[in-house]
Amino acid sequence: MSTPAALPERDRPWIIRTYAGHSSAKASNELYRSNLEKGQTGLSIAFDLPTQCGYDSDDPIARPEVGKVGVPINSLDDFHVLFDGIPLEKMNTSMTINGTAMWLLALYVALARERGEDESKLQGTTQNDLIKEYLARGTYIFPPEASMRLIAEMYEYCLEAIPKWNASNICSYHLQEAGATPVQELAFALANAISLLDLLKERGHFDDEQFERAVGRISFFVNAGIRFVEEMCKMRAFGELWDSYTADRFGVTEEKYRRFRYGVQVNSLGLTEAQPENNAWRIILESLGVTLSRNARCRALQLPAWNEAMSLPRPWDQQWSLRLQQILAYETDLLEYPDLFDGSPVVQAKVQELMDEATAEIETILGMGGVIPAIESGYMKTALVRSMSERMSAINSGDQIVVGLNKWTEGLPSPLTAGDDGGIFKVDDKAAEAIIAGLEHTRASRDTARAEAAIEALKAAARDGSSLMEPSIECALARVTTGEWAGALREVFGEYRPATGIEGQQLGLTGDRVEVLRERINTLAEQMGHRPRIVVGKPGLDGHSNGAEVIAVSARHVGFDVIYSGIRLSPDEIVQSAVEEGADVIGASVLSGSHIDLAKQILEGLREQDADEDIAVVVGGIIPPADATELEAMGIKRVFTPADYELMDIMESIVEILEAR
Amino acid sequence: MTLDAARALNKHAVSKLVSVFEDTRPQAAGQRAEILDALGPARSTVIGITGTPGAGKSSLVARLVPAMLAESDLSVAVLAVDPASHVSGGALLGDRTRTRFATGEKRAFFRSQSNAAELGGLAPTTFQVTRLLKRLFDVVIVETVGIGQSELDIRYLADHVYLVLQPLGGDEIQFLKAGIIEIPDSFILNKCDDPAANQSYYQLRSSLSLARPFDEEVPPIYRTSARTGEGVDEVATAMLAVQPRHSDAEREEYFFGRWVEDEWGATGRRYMAGRELLAGGFDAAQAQFGPGIVEWLGKVE
Ligand code: B12
Ligand SMILES: Nc1nc2c(ncn2[C@@H]2O[C@H](COP(=O)(O)OP(=O)(O)O)[C@@H](O)[C@H]2O)c(=O)[nH]1
Ligand SMILES: [Mg+2]
Repeated sequence: MSTPAALPERDRPWIIRTYAGHSSAKASNELYRSNLEKGQTGLSIAFDLPTQCGYDSDDPIARPEVGKVGVPINSLDDFHVLFDGIPLEKMNTSMTINGTAMWLLALYVALARERGEDESKLQGTTQNDLIKEYLARGTYIFPPEASMRLIAEMYEYCLEAIPKWNASNICSYHLQEAGATPVQELAFALANAISLLDLLKERGHFDDEQFERAVGRISFFVNAGIRFVEEMCKMRAFGELWDSYTADRFGVTEEKYRRFRYGVQVNSLGLTEAQPENNAWRIILESLGVTLSRNARCRALQLPAWNEAMSLPRPWDQQWSLRLQQILAYETDLLEYPDLFDGSPVVQAKVQELMDEATAEIETILGMGGVIPAIESGYMKTALVRSMSERMSAINSGDQIVVGLNKWTEGLPSPLTAGDDGGIFKVDDKAAEAIIAGLEHTRASRDTARAEAAIEALKAAARDGSSLMEPSIECALARVTTGEWAGALREVFGEYRPATGIEGQQLGLTGDRVEVLRERINTLAEQMGHRPRIVVGKPGLDGHSNGAEVIAVSARHVGFDVIYSGIRLSPDEIVQSAVEEGADVIGASVLSGSHIDLAKQILEGLREQDADEDIAVVVGGIIPPADATELEAMGIKRVFTPADYELMDIMESIVEILEAR
Repeated sequence: MTLDAARALNKHAVSKLVSVFEDTRPQAAGQRAEILDALGPARSTVIGITGTPGAGKSSLVARLVPAMLAESDLSVAVLAVDPASHVSGGALLGDRTRTRFATGEKRAFFRSQSNAAELGGLAPTTFQVTRLLKRLFDVVIVETVGIGQSELDIRYLADHVYLVLQPLGGDEIQFLKAGIIEIPDSFILNKCDDPAANQSYYQLRSSLSLARPFDEEVPPIYRTSARTGEGVDEVATAMLAVQPRHSDAEREEYFFGRWVEDEWGATGRRYMAGRELLAGGFDAAQAQFGPGIVEWLGKVE
């Protein structure tokens, strides 16, 4: 580890972040302004899923999701509202945006131009890491090659035109949330960054000096799990590996451009619905991994809340997590010391081990030709699904202890969930109508000829390989909509559906329960004249695939014939699969909060096809108790939540539904 | 009612009939005979698509079907077979994952089957289901698990067999695996977006003329990319032009033999030899086979 030249007495605290989404541009604007008045200087913007996936708010697939997990942006008109009264030149704006990152940056630049602000002074970050979208997060649109081209073009545009803009952020956070081990997190993120730099080099747009600066603009977004000693070692390994790859492979001579700059969100996958109060302790311990070691300390930290597995956090929940950070940074003596672990043989050995294993994996991926082939062949996704299946198997068998979930499950009722709202945040879903009215107004009032010409110019650039940045900015100015921008590029690049990674996977579970279930399924097969079939479906834009993957793997493990076609299908597509395939059950997995709408659409679809008698529907995901009752009243046969972690229990209840027919 | 709806290609109605042809219970045989009777004679061609796993069969089907629908007003059914787990018996029916046909398009129908952990490239009921689909759709496409032991099955089932290959690195001539190269009527070299494809194409051409000296002319080799769509239209046109090759009687005789082998092994074959079991039709023959052989065995012993 390299030590900064002169250590200040006391380390400066990391940037304390909170991340939140709001239902409309107007509501978000009010909140930003009140925060800014209180002295906050940065904005962190969460967009709703339609904006992230490139659909207008009135697209049928968008409707259930409008304004749910973030703000909907349909056109530059919405950006005017979102940033009303907020000086862009003075803001540091971070956007969690990927598939449509170029579009949102174009909107931001267009806004500055229209307002007469200095574009070159803009500051901020677009997350813009599509590799982890294919692997874990799910808001990709185009095939890998086209996606990487867009990212590269943004680096090329930003370096000179908006030098303080981070064109992308390499994310390993989401990989751990999808099951990645520390070695996989290290290897996949670094292989991703290396492949991006290889591409920038190959495109030849930068001279050597510019290339070094571009390397210096690459920053990371990392996860920190509950095994906090190992996690701390992982951060040190990240720093050392990045330093050596940038020096050796890319010849970066300036030390500051080789520094591993990273922000953190701590692990949420391990946060439980059972005894949710325990999550507070988990969050503290996870924070230690990225703060303890000064030389590997994060630059920014954001924390989930105790009720992570129940709903979006309420303002109080966020405040409680914020206080944790403040106590750690300002009450404890953590920041007073130089690095506590330099010279520790134990830490050194662990770091070395992680580095060795990660290097081997990085070289494997680079040997395939980089991350694009490793995505296309399904190599990386398969590895993650395997890790996730192993994790779930270990929790099921008790080999991995999760307090309150599979051990010490008896406890007193929690007063935290005893309030009127049950500790759950309710989304205001009335905002959608006003938003769609605004979109219609934009479409009706714009200069149609200019908008059409802008779209044509965008497609032409997409075809001839020239940069899409300026054509996108012109689209923004011409009031082209989010759906139109993405739609035009879909036409040229096509739409991508990555590998699901579940082929050939199995659980590590054996023994009597599994055998008995297999026997029951064989018996069912004889009685029904066919092996029972389940369609596992992810309706809508929700990208949380872990649950669906684990259920699909479990179902095959016990003997179901399984159809799982990945995320982002319409309810109609799922119904059609089930009908054509003669399925006995549809198992829909919804974690985005839109389960009521989506379940309704699936049931209606089945009724329209006259298939509701033949096909049972079960639903799983983040489903508050009141909604579970509503779903069952609607005709859903069973509802599952994260508290149902025992996979064999889940399989048994599905078998029971079939046996009862 | 269901029959009329199925004739109109209502998806649920078709699907329910397919389930009857997949039904493993003995009483289903009678139902099948009735349905076939009511539907009248078969009218369509069966296209076989085979090739090693990963060659791009499913991805090609996903491209070919929309191309066939666009080019004609014919209807197309796909029957895709996936391998099952030997341990649990369950299968991951992954071929469907590659396809995404428009919802509500009645002219296209997709059904997955599991090979039920048997060695062949087809499911035990694939033949049965094609008997039905040939009476409902104009073209039936069957995607096999992959090239393997009983590739002869697809040869009997299909009026034209396409072998899908992918470009190879170096100069290994894997195409020539004995037995495999003799089955297909046409070859498709897929993944031609890969630079290695050109070389593979010429290798394949020269090895074909060596390996199949009995051919009057070198069989067609199509070059496609399921990724870019290159060459897909040409194959679609060719598939639409395929003419029936086998009579139903020939097919029934072959698949009856296969069924007997699966269910009764060598003993079944011996009993079958010299007997005119199929005179009363395929379904009746299946229904009567069990009692017949049991009686025969009693006498033999
Ligand atoms: C992991 C995770 C992610 C990962 C997803 C990785 C992946 N590929 O799946 C990442 C980091 C990418 C992610 C992203 C986001 N997430 Co998230 N995420 C989670 C988290 C922490 C765990 C979910 C999980 O995977 N659990 C493990 C699996 C195995 O469990 P499970 O899905 O619950 O499934 C079990 C049961 O529910 C049931 N089940 C589930 N489905 C089915 C289906 C059937 C048929 C059956 C029988 C059973 C069943 O059985 C399973 C086995 O036990 C939850 C919170 C939590 N702790 O639950 C938030 C959470 C779901 N995420 C949330 C949000 C808001 C997001 C984002 C929108 C954030 C943002 N603004 O960017 C994005 C959106 C991504 C997208 N495209 O949709 C919210 C949803 C809020 C809501 N419902 O109101 C949650 C609840 C967090 C929170 N409190 O805010 N997330
Ligand atoms: N580059 C390229 N990849 C393809 C092509 N066709 C299929 N693939 C990929 O090859 C893999 C296997 O394809 P699939 O259709 O499932 O093959 P199957 O097992 O023969 O049905 C998938 O990852 C496809 O994306 C192609 O024409 N070009
Ligand atoms: Mg296939």
